[in-house]
Amino acid sequence: MTWNCEQIESRLSEYADRLLPADERGYFEAHARGCARCGALVSRVTGMLARLHQLELEAVPAGLERRILEQTLGPKAERKGVRSWLGWLAPVMTQRFAYGAVTVLITVMVLSQAFGVQWSQVELRDLYPPNLYRATTRKANLVYARGAKFVTDLRVVYEIQSRLRPEAEQPAPTEQKPAPGQSQGPEEKEQPRQQNRANESYGNYSLLAMTASLMPGRMTQ
Amino acid sequence: MEPDAQLVQNCLRGDGSAWEELVRRHTRRIYNLCWRFTSSRHEAEDLTQEVFLRVYKTLGSYRSAHGGFATWMTSVTRNLLIDHYRRTRRDRLTDSLDDAMPRLEEKHSPVRRPDQATLANELSGQVQNALKKISPDLREAVILRDLQGLEYAEIQDVLGVPEGTVKSRINRGRIELARLLEQMGVRPE
Repeated sequence: MTWNCEQIESRLSEYADRLLPADERGYFEAHARGCARCGALVSRVTGMLARLHQLELEAVPAGLERRILEQTLGPKAERKGVRSWLGWLAPVMTQRFAYGAVTVLITVMVLSQAFGVQWSQVELRDLYPPNLYRATTRKANLVYARGAKFVTDLRVVYEIQSRLRPEAEQPAPTEQKPAPGQSQGPEEKEQPRQQNRANESYGNYSLLAMTASLMPGRMTQ
Repeated sequence: MEPDAQLVQNCLRGDGSAWEELVRRHTRRIYNLCWRFTSSRHEAEDLTQEVFLRVYKTLGSYRSAHGGFATWMTSVTRNLLIDHYRRTRRDRLTDSLDDAMPRLEEKHSPVRRPDQATLANELSGQVQNALKKISPDLREAVILRDLQGLEYAEIQDVLGVPEGTVKSRINRGRIELARLLEQMGVRPE
């Protein structure tokens, strides 16, 4: 059985949509292969359909859905269901809020690291306000005591240094430059050695003072 | 995902969120149907709102046993489009001179044809121009089948014509559209 051009044209869409039975599909293709006019028509329509099916739907204009809802439900219509419960979240669900939340999170993490908080060891009872208060007060007192001790130690070291310094930093006798052609006397030649000894003793005392500051227990005894 | 029929039932019980969901699901499809038919974004927007308003008012008359909600909505849209077509026929006759050179107009319009337009947008515009040139009967059949993706049976329900007529309109519409697109320089894939 063979089909004519009229049949090809009238059944073209069914062929393109693969709705033709296998035998009719065979007749259709056999004719289209042999007829230049029908072959061109089939390739034009199927090619155009392929391009047409690639087209995506146009985007909905901004605000259209909102306008439809306002027209139907009303602008202040009471919304029911889950959305009404989550409605209060809408103002905070913004990019700005997200940045803020991330910043707060990072700050908490940094502070936790700084204060040595280990979240894995935190128990529910630790979050009980009195316990939280006690732990915070203890931590604050500890920090204060350490700071006070450090200042006291510094003060002791400074005191030792200030007592030793006048001896070590005695002003050197005024140098009298010899006149050109005059030689220096024997006692004048001893001055650099004395200065060296003074510097050496000052260095020893400084070392002693530093060692003392590192051994606070012994200093207080 | 909740089926449309269930959402309709929830709507009828006064659940506003069910109606919101239906609007969100179908707005894009209905808007595109209106736009392809009228070739005017402004008119398509107005018609889409009109469609949803009518659907909202007549939601109680929908029977899921008679077909899908999408098909029913398409029927409502089609009725409104026919009304709109009849209403604006006189305007179109007086604007026939303007229709004669739409491409020249669009070439200089930065809104319709921006310099950076993608090929897809260009094809979409060419299809739109070609659709405007074929008769409304053939146009709606092609739009429903090839741009909205409806099955033949669904188109039959929407148009209310026998299956043979649907096939014939789709067939003739496609051949006409392919010829017009070829004239516009669109190459088949």
